[in-house]
Formats: sequence, C-alpha cells, structure tokens
Amino acid sequence: MYNTKGDNEHMKARKKIILIAMSLMLILSAVGCSNKQTTEFNADKEITVIARDAASGTRGAFHELMKIKVKEKETETDNLAVGALEFDGTDKVITAVEKDKYAVGYISIGSLSDRVKPASINGFFPTEENVKNGDYVVSRPYLLLTNGIENDLVKDFLSFTESVQGQEIVRKMHYIGAVESPKLYEASNISGTIKVAGSTSVAPLMEKIQEAYKDLNPNVTFEMQANGSSQGIKAAIEGTYDIGMSSRNLKDDEKSQLNEHTLAIDGIAVIINKINPKTDLSSENITKIYTGEITKWSEVK
Amino acid sequence: MENLINIKSNIKKRKIQSMFLKALVWISGIITVGILAYILLFVLLRGIPNINMEFLFGTYNSETLSAFSSIVATLLMIIISLVVAVPIGVFCAVYLTEYAKRGNKAVKIIRLAVDTLAGIPSIIYGLFGMIFFVAVLGFKTSLLSGICTISIMILPIIISSSEEAIRTVPDLYREGSLGLGASRLRTVFKIVLPTAVPGILSGVILAIGRIVGETAALIFTSGTNVLESPTLNLFASQRTLAIHMYMLASEGLPHSKDMAFATGAILIIIVFLVNLATTKLANKIGRM
Amino acid sequence: MEKMEKNNQLNTKENMMQLVFFASALVSVLAVIAICLFLLMRGIPAISEIGLKNFLFNQKWAPTNTPPTFGILSMIVGSLYVTAGAIIIGVPIGIMCAIFLAEFCPISIYKIVKPSVNLLAGIPSIIYGFFGMEIVVPYVREMIGGNGYSILSASIILGIMILPTIITISESSIRAVPKSYMEASLGIGATREESIFKVVVPAAKSGILTSIILGIGRAVGETMAVVMVAGGAVMPLEKIALLKPIRTLTANIVTEMSYASGLHTESLIATGVVLFVFIIILNTALSLIKTKTKN
Repeated sequence: MYNTKGDNEHMKARKKIILIAMSLMLILSAVGCSNKQTTEFNADKEITVIARDAASGTRGAFHELMKIKVKEKETETDNLAVGALEFDGTDKVITAVEKDKYAVGYISIGSLSDRVKPASINGFFPTEENVKNGDYVVSRPYLLLTNGIENDLVKDFLSFTESVQGQEIVRKMHYIGAVESPKLYEASNISGTIKVAGSTSVAPLMEKIQEAYKDLNPNVTFEMQANGSSQGIKAAIEGTYDIGMSSRNLKDDEKSQLNEHTLAIDGIAVIINKINPKTDLSSENITKIYTGEITKWSEVK
Repeated sequence: MENLINIKSNIKKRKIQSMFLKALVWISGIITVGILAYILLFVLLRGIPNINMEFLFGTYNSETLSAFSSIVATLLMIIISLVVAVPIGVFCAVYLTEYAKRGNKAVKIIRLAVDTLAGIPSIIYGLFGMIFFVAVLGFKTSLLSGICTISIMILPIIISSSEEAIRTVPDLYREGSLGLGASRLRTVFKIVLPTAVPGILSGVILAIGRIVGETAALIFTSGTNVLESPTLNLFASQRTLAIHMYMLASEGLPHSKDMAFATGAILIIIVFLVNLATTKLANKIGRM
Repeated sequence: MEKMEKNNQLNTKENMMQLVFFASALVSVLAVIAICLFLLMRGIPAISEIGLKNFLFNQKWAPTNTPPTFGILSMIVGSLYVTAGAIIIGVPIGIMCAIFLAEFCPISIYKIVKPSVNLLAGIPSIIYGFFGMEIVVPYVREMIGGNGYSILSASIILGIMILPTIITISESSIRAVPKSYMEASLGIGATREESIFKVVVPAAKSGILTSIILGIGRAVGETMAVVMVAGGAVMPLEKIALLKPIRTLTANIVTEMSYASGLHTESLIATGVVLFVFIIILNTALSLIKTKTKN
C-alpha cells in the first residue's frame, strides 16, 4: 500500500500538518492579541471587590477596622458585599488587581509591590511613618502584655522581642517594627517555661519569635494558647499566663493594670489597579465599597 | 422526474452535511492540540528564563525562593510511596489474576474497592489523610503523612495496570512452567511477573506523574512548610514542587510570580519526560 | 522422607505467600472502609450539630459571624453549575476529537494528537489553575464581561481538564465497534461521515457514557484549578449567573481549612462528606453501566 500510494499520502498528510500548524498559530495570536489591557478607565463600570477568605487574619483585621464587620452585644456580622471575590492568598489578590482595572483589594503592607498601587486613605499613604504615627488608619498594634510582675525569664524574652534579632523576624513576616533603635540580644543560658495566651493574629509571629529564641536558649520551653485578644488581656491581668497577646489597642481600664510592649504594627494597604485615577479613598468610602453600598467607581466621591 | 430532482438535491444536502461534520471533527482535533500548545508555551516561555542554579540548588530564602528542598521532598515522596504501594498493588493484581477463583465474592468486593479508590477526588484523600494519618496516628503534618496518603491514592493505578499486564502473559508460559514441575509461586515470581514488568512499569510511571502533580491531597497532610535546605527527616513538614508552585502563586513576595512560572516549567518538563517514558514502554509492549 | 519435608516447606511457603497476596488485595478494601468511616466519624457530628436541613439547604455561609451559620446550598449548586458547564464545553469537543482520532486522523497526525492528549492528561491541576488565572480570566473579562472570575472561566478550565478522560475512553470504545457495522452502512449508500455519526458512534454509546461520567467525577472533585479561577464568593441562589463568581464544595474546603478551628473545621469535613456522597452516586452509576453492557 505504501509503495503504490505512499508518496501521495505523504504529501496529503504534510499539507494537513501545515494547515493545522497555521490554524494553531492563528488561534494563538488571536488569543494573545486580545489579552492586552486597554488604558482607558470607565468609571461607570462595576467595582470588582476583592476580599480574603473568612479564615484570614488580614480579613479579620481589615473588616473590623473598616466596620465591614459589625459588632453588637452578642452578635458579630460580616457585611461583605454579595459577589465579592474571596481569595486564599495575597498574591491572588495582587494578580487580580494587577489585571483588572476596576478592582480593589487589601493586603498586608509588607507585600506591596509595583504591580499595583496603594490608595491613600483619608489623604495618607501607607508608609511606615504614617502607620507609626497613626495618620494611616488601617493599622493595629501587636501588643505583648504583663501585669507588671515579670520574672527574669519573661524579662529576658521581652528584651529579645525588642532586640535586633527579634525585630528582624517582625520585618521578615511583613509587619512594621515598633522599636526605635533595637539593641543586639545576647543569650544568657537561662531556663524555664513561659506561658503565653491571646490573639490568634499575633500567634504566628509569636511562634517564629519563640523558635528563634529557643535556638539561642535551648533550655526554655513555651506554652502557647491562641484564644483571642480579649482572653489574652484577661489572662495577663489575672496573671494566669506570663504574657498576654493582643492585636487591638487597650481600653483605659485595661491600660492601668498592664505593662504594654508593642511587638509590631500590622498595617493593611488598600490596593487598586495602576491606571485607576481614584487614588484617594475615605475610610467611609471603603466601608461602602466593601459592604456593597457603592458599586461603581463614579460613585466614589 | 420530480423524485429524481429531490434525490439529487438530497444528495447535495447530505454531501454538505458530511463536509460539515468532517470539518467539525477536524476542528475539535485542532482545538485539543492548540490548547495543549498554548498551555505549554505559556508556562515554558515565562518559566524557563527564570530557572537558574540558585533556584534549583540554592538555599531557600525570600530572595531566591529556591525549589531545592521541594525537589528533594518530591523525590523522597516518589521513592517511598512507590516502595510502599508497588508491592501491595502488584500482589493485589497477582491475587486477582492468579489465585482468586472467577466470580468469587471477594474478588467482586476488591474490584469495587479499587474502582471506588480510583474515583475519589484528591481533596477527599487530603481530608482523610488529615484526619487519619495526621491526627489519629499522630504523624502530625509531615512528609510521612503525605506519603501515606499518596500511597493509597496511587494504589488503584498500579493495581489496574499490573492486572492488565499480568493478564496479557500467555497461559502457555504458565502451563510450561507448571509442567516442568515448578510450583505455582515459583511460576508467578519467575515467569509471570518478569514477563509483565513493562506493563507494571508503565503503571509506575503513571503513578509518578500523579505524585508529581498532586496538590490538594498534600496541603493538609505534608503541609506547605518550606525548608531552607533539604532534609531526609520524614517527620518534618515539607512541601513538594506542585505545592511550592501553589504557595508561590498565592504568597505575594516580590518575585514569587516569576518563580511560580519557573516551578511550573520544571513540573511540565517532568510530566513530559514521564509521558515520553510511558509511550516508549507502551510501544515496547506493543512490539512484544 | 526428605522430599516430603521439602514439599511441606514448599507448601507452607506457598500458603504464606497466598495469604500475603490476599492481604495486599484487602488493603484497597480496608482503605475504602477507613476513608468512609473516618470522614463520617468527623463529619456526622458536625452535621447533626448544625442540623442536616440547615446544613444542606441554607444558602448562608458565615463561619466567622457570631453566631455562625454553616449552610452549603450555594456551594452544592455552584459545584453542579460548574460541572454542567464543563460538560457542555468538554463533551462535544472531546467526543468529536475521539471520532477524529478513531476514524479520520491520518497516521502521521495521529502521532501528534494522541501524545498531546496523553500530555494534557498528565499536566498537574495547579498548572491548569495558573493558566486559568493568568489567561482565561482576563480573556473572559475583556471579551465577554464581568470581572472574569466566574462560572464561565471555571467551566472552560474544567472543560479542558476533562478532555483527555473523554477522548481516551471514547476513542477506544469507538475503535471497539466491529468493522462490519461501518461496511454495512456504506453498503446501503450512506457517506462515510453519516455512517460514523449514525451507526458507529451510537454503537459505542455505553463507552462514551462511561467517559462522560468519569469526566463529571473529575470535574466535581477538581479543587486547585477551580479555586484559582472561580472567585470564591458564596452567592445567594438568585444572584448566581454565568459571569458571576461562585464557590464550589471543593473550593470551600481548601480555602478555609488551613486556618479553621472548632466547628468550622468539622463543617468543612462535613462538606467533604457531601462531596463524597456525590462521588459514590457517580461510581454507582458507572458500575450500573458496566454490568448493563456485560449483559
């Protein structure tokens, strides 16, 4: 069969292959071209609202600070707009905002990059300085609390958290350091157990710091209970735990009973697409966007 | 006369219809190949330029985002889970083909179980691994938990390919061996299994492909922890390459996107090699 | 005497190995039982605490509210929509491509297309997800509308992902149709295309049906790719639309499990139980088809 018709078939097949290759290239180039972003901004388009997943600490903080989550006596309700995208990672939020002209999202300040731009809130950009002096409102301190009775071990550990090594970890975890001029920590062959309780948001950072501390002081062990800021504050006042962790500022009556050590500041940036002209948002507008009261960029005043 | 015209126009209609169907079929073929080409080009073109020695063999930090420890973890996972699953799978196939009586109830149940395992989505395996290996057996989130989970996942692949391979061994071989006075066991190990090796191997290669690409079943079992440098410690939480890619695609570090592409390119190259090996083996079996 | 002993030894060895083979065969059965058992053990208490009706038929999922609500109706519907979309996109292309491979394709092109299909099957789902996020989502946003993260994008990605399953199994079942069918049809004057579409393909329908069910199984259970393109929003039923985001059962588990605690964790495992029930139903359908074709 191949001897008689072989050449002919070969030619046919080759022609077909060329045909396929050409149509493939056509498809590829068609899809490739269509993917370019145009630069005009139509303010009447719907805002693409991007949030994090319900279990994310960033979401918890942002929704609380921006009053998207409303607390009443016994209840707590998250009023996130219907249809808001929920992503389980920072980069997914950045990617979505990078590619969607009409998107708005929020990420930890440490994760900002030039793929998107941060919006200023009430006129202030999320710089380290603005966060530290409180002008930038979407931030909160991570506090370590004691009731004033600090044994040597607790003192040594607290000095570690405020040292060069401790603050290095803070920065590595994308938080803003809260200590002006940290000193170098030197291990003093101390031993014992430190009991820590409180905020679930502080816990991951705390864990890293504890690991580093244990590397320097192998005879120290930790007991940690991540059960929420309020529990941490209570535990520190009562002295049932050596250190309480809080991710919110203290109320006045709490302040009088506790020693505060600011471990770090957690700042959250609101990010928008690079060509979005609405570069300043009021905190009220952010609340409205995220609760679905405002759906178009033209409604943002 | 009218009838004839009718038939003629009918023939024309039918010819056009046939042409149309033929075109449709060709287009479907082209679309399939086109999608593959697009995905490959997309990942390889953006990934390969980002692959460098530092990324492949360096220590991990937020600058290099090195995949070295993930590569080692993936290799460990492949080797150990194959060591666990291949004997069990092959023995199961031997039981089904050589020992079990036809129409046996046990065989029916075992077949049903294998089919069920093959149909369970990886996220369910992940949940099971999280409950059973991580919590109940106390392996914690560790490479070991991941390996145990993956071993169950690849079991049906190995069983069905081994079974098929063993079935294609001609009965003549068995009869010859038994006729020469060899025991049944000896026949299985000296005649049947060696002849079935290429078929079993192609199942093994398929399993490797599955292990390399798995994410959902491993996130909750072997975890997403990244190590600065590789370790052979099975009790440590380690991420495989596919999870490395997933984490880079969600983490938001400065170059994590580029490095996610690089990891994707490595994954695709591995999958390509695995496929090539399977095809080669399949051809070999075909020629035998 | 010595020979007898040797024989005995051989026999014990034989018996022992037979036991080992049987034990290996039982591993799969044990694995299935263990998976069912442990999923149910952790999932059922959560469902009974939430209330079966409340869990399955409540559209509100707010695990971090006080008091929390755990309703997965929106995700059940989401999984169904996305799977249906994948079938609508993947099945026609897949079956056509299988026909192409089995009947129309010259050998030289077969050598390109067939390995391509195999490679498509081997690509990890995370890469499909990445491709979807970087290419399909922006494409849908620019060309069709919405913000791109949508049922449509998820359906497209899943449709591509189920292609190899459908193509491979359909192709082999089309090839298994006896040549005499085709010859008979050609003999009564049908064109080649007509014979293939009206005689050969219908004769292969049980194989094609199997491939579709396996495809559905893959689409329902797919996790990582869907998470990256579907947008993850829990939508009230009346607002679900083709270009709107959606959350599937699988996406719910994988996005929230890592930080969840308490009843939240248990409710995610219970979500897995619901998914598992779907898969069991599909598997039963499969074995029904198998026994039917045997008869």
